[in-house]
Amino acid sequence: MTSEYAEATRRRGLRNLQGMPFVLPYLPFLVVFGIAPTVYALELAFTNVDGGWVAFHNFVRTYDDFRFVPAFKHVLVYTSVWLGTLVVFVVGLALLLHGRANRVSAGFRFLFYIPGALAGAASVLVWLFMLDPSVSPGSFLLHHVVGASIFAQSIAPGNLPFIFAMIAFWTGAGGWIVVMYGALNTIPPDLEEAARIDGAGPITIALRLKLPLIRKWIAYMVILSFATGTQLFVEPEIVQHASFGLVPDTWSANQLAYQMAFRYGDFNGAAAIAVDLLVIGLAGAVLIVTRSGLFRTDD
Amino acid sequence: MKVNRRRLALTLLAAVAATALATSARGGHKASGVSGSITVWVDAVRLPVAKLYAKTHPKVHLNIVTYDGDGNGATTMQTKIQLWNRTNKGWPDVIFSEQANDPVWMGQKPFDYALDLKGVFPANLLKGWPKPSIAQCTVNGHLVCLQDNLAQEVLYVNKKLMSQFGYTVPKTWQQWAALGQKVAAQHPGYIIGTIGDSYGAWLYLWADKCPISQVTGVNTVRINASDVHCTRMAQLLDPLVKSGVVSYESVFTADFATKYGGDNDKILLMPGPVWYAKDIFSGTLHVPPGEMTAALPLQWNNEPLVTGQVGGGPWIVSKHSKNQAAAIDFVKWATTSLAVKGKVNALSPGYPSYAPAATVWLKSLNKDPYFAAPEGPAFQKAANLIWQGWSMVTYPDQPVWSNSVVTQLVAGKSLSSLLPALGHGLAQNAQAAGYKVVTN
Repeated sequence: MTSEYAEATRRRGLRNLQGMPFVLPYLPFLVVFGIAPTVYALELAFTNVDGGWVAFHNFVRTYDDFRFVPAFKHVLVYTSVWLGTLVVFVVGLALLLHGRANRVSAGFRFLFYIPGALAGAASVLVWLFMLDPSVSPGSFLLHHVVGASIFAQSIAPGNLPFIFAMIAFWTGAGGWIVVMYGALNTIPPDLEEAARIDGAGPITIALRLKLPLIRKWIAYMVILSFATGTQLFVEPEIVQHASFGLVPDTWSANQLAYQMAFRYGDFNGAAAIAVDLLVIGLAGAVLIVTRSGLFRTDD
Repeated sequence: MKVNRRRLALTLLAAVAATALATSARGGHKASGVSGSITVWVDAVRLPVAKLYAKTHPKVHLNIVTYDGDGNGATTMQTKIQLWNRTNKGWPDVIFSEQANDPVWMGQKPFDYALDLKGVFPANLLKGWPKPSIAQCTVNGHLVCLQDNLAQEVLYVNKKLMSQFGYTVPKTWQQWAALGQKVAAQHPGYIIGTIGDSYGAWLYLWADKCPISQVTGVNTVRINASDVHCTRMAQLLDPLVKSGVVSYESVFTADFATKYGGDNDKILLMPGPVWYAKDIFSGTLHVPPGEMTAALPLQWNNEPLVTGQVGGGPWIVSKHSKNQAAAIDFVKWATTSLAVKGKVNALSPGYPSYAPAATVWLKSLNKDPYFAAPEGPAFQKAANLIWQGWSMVTYPDQPVWSNSVVTQLVAGKSLSSLLPALGHGLAQNAQAAGYKVVTN
């Protein structure tokens, strides 16, 4: 028993060493572009312009800024709407695709993926046209559902979280559907076979068998998307420029940090907001990891 | 032909060497004697000017960098200047900005970039700038910029439609509003202005002396949106916006151009800055030629005539410049020389801020057959009428107008009901930017 255990530990140590060459090329980048800026942000957040320690002063100061609470509220609504639709539609569509014949499903996977080929900024530009009733192919919907007859009405303040969530969904969802489909393919066919013999229909198989088995993949998607969601920047920034300021330039928390740093020269305040976002992202990740058992290896 | 030209060039070169006159003959000015190297940052519109300077001033080595001009609320310059300040090097000698308020923060901490041009720039030339323009560039007693072009507001008139409908051109805001009511009843669909642009406040509230951007002392700004000069203008506009004769759409939207421009030709009157002249009416809106002209800005009853302004890009010289003489010479040449400002072309699309150049420039504008009648007289008079109680400030005020007023106007609210929100939003921004806000 003990010798077996020692053998296993030794073998694992060897395996770790073998893994190093795969990890090494990434390490310098992680340090230079990931860890170092984070440490720098932390240092800035707790100091003033002259480098003196000010504890939580920057956090209190930025919290008291009149744009802070609205920006975080916007991001909260946006992230909830986006994550909700992402999880429901991505998992739902992936499950539907997996139940289809192979050729049909390959066609649909490609179709879903196409909007994702337009990277961030480009997709926002497409949406600027989609949202302008005078040129949009969907102007009928804009008229009757949104009640907008001009662009300024389409991007009314109340619509914005939903518009940004829609843009982000169409660019991101396709990629995730493909990932989920891949995850579904790892489920051994005999499991499905056994379930079918036991009398489970396609819906039961999808919900009671497949869904629990790809739970970790969903958790992974939620963690990554939660972080990107709270750090929303490109969509409101471009719409703000395109609408000549109808959307405030501090709509999202990340934009507020950007404006503080680069319009007002307040790098310390900007760093404090960045650290706020980091904490929110980390807390979300920890919560999901512990709840979903993402890194548990025994099941 | 080829040989001739080469010989000519050689002769010229010899002449230049002999007399040591290495400066531009095209500029028509005396040898400035500057040399060395300078770096200038310009937007795409000012690029030909910088290129021509390089060509006509071979002794000066000019590094030209083009950037977005800080247009539409970009913060390129804020970012760059901070980085240069941090590294303590790299500042360009001269910057052109499309943003009229850029010099204000450039002239103060933490940016602290702009050179005080008073005493450095030839004083006899400074007299050529209209008083409001010099006042706008003066921050805490320092002359931090010189406007390249002016953007005074005038009243654009569709002469053809006006005579077709049998209307006379209004002289006061009251006559303009009364005419608007008439248009709404007799010719629905036609408009007498629009308030939906990000600079709507500059067109209507500035023009009626509304004190919501008035710097009264060092870092003190007066913001009082409930002042009678704001409320009376809002009350005048409310029924006009409601009936649709004053649109709430931006002239830059595709919708505006199709609805009111081109063959629809629905713009009867429109208060707007001088740069609308041909760029907007012909270029953006495709109003047919031979219809538009400009009249004097509108007056509030019989009160002294003042007007608003929209933009007017400034030149800023760096206080870190190692070659101040060349930097000043460049700005002097770009703003006052007739080689640049002599006629309406790619070198000088906008109304020259330097009055003697403007006089010459207007001659070429007045000849343009696009206009139904020369716009020069109205432009020239309005240049000196810009109300000086509206100061440029370090924070951007246009987005506040856009997101607190325009977004609500399009949702059916009245301007009067939105003035408190505008004042509140401006005050919050002013305080965040470090200003003390007062109401009187």
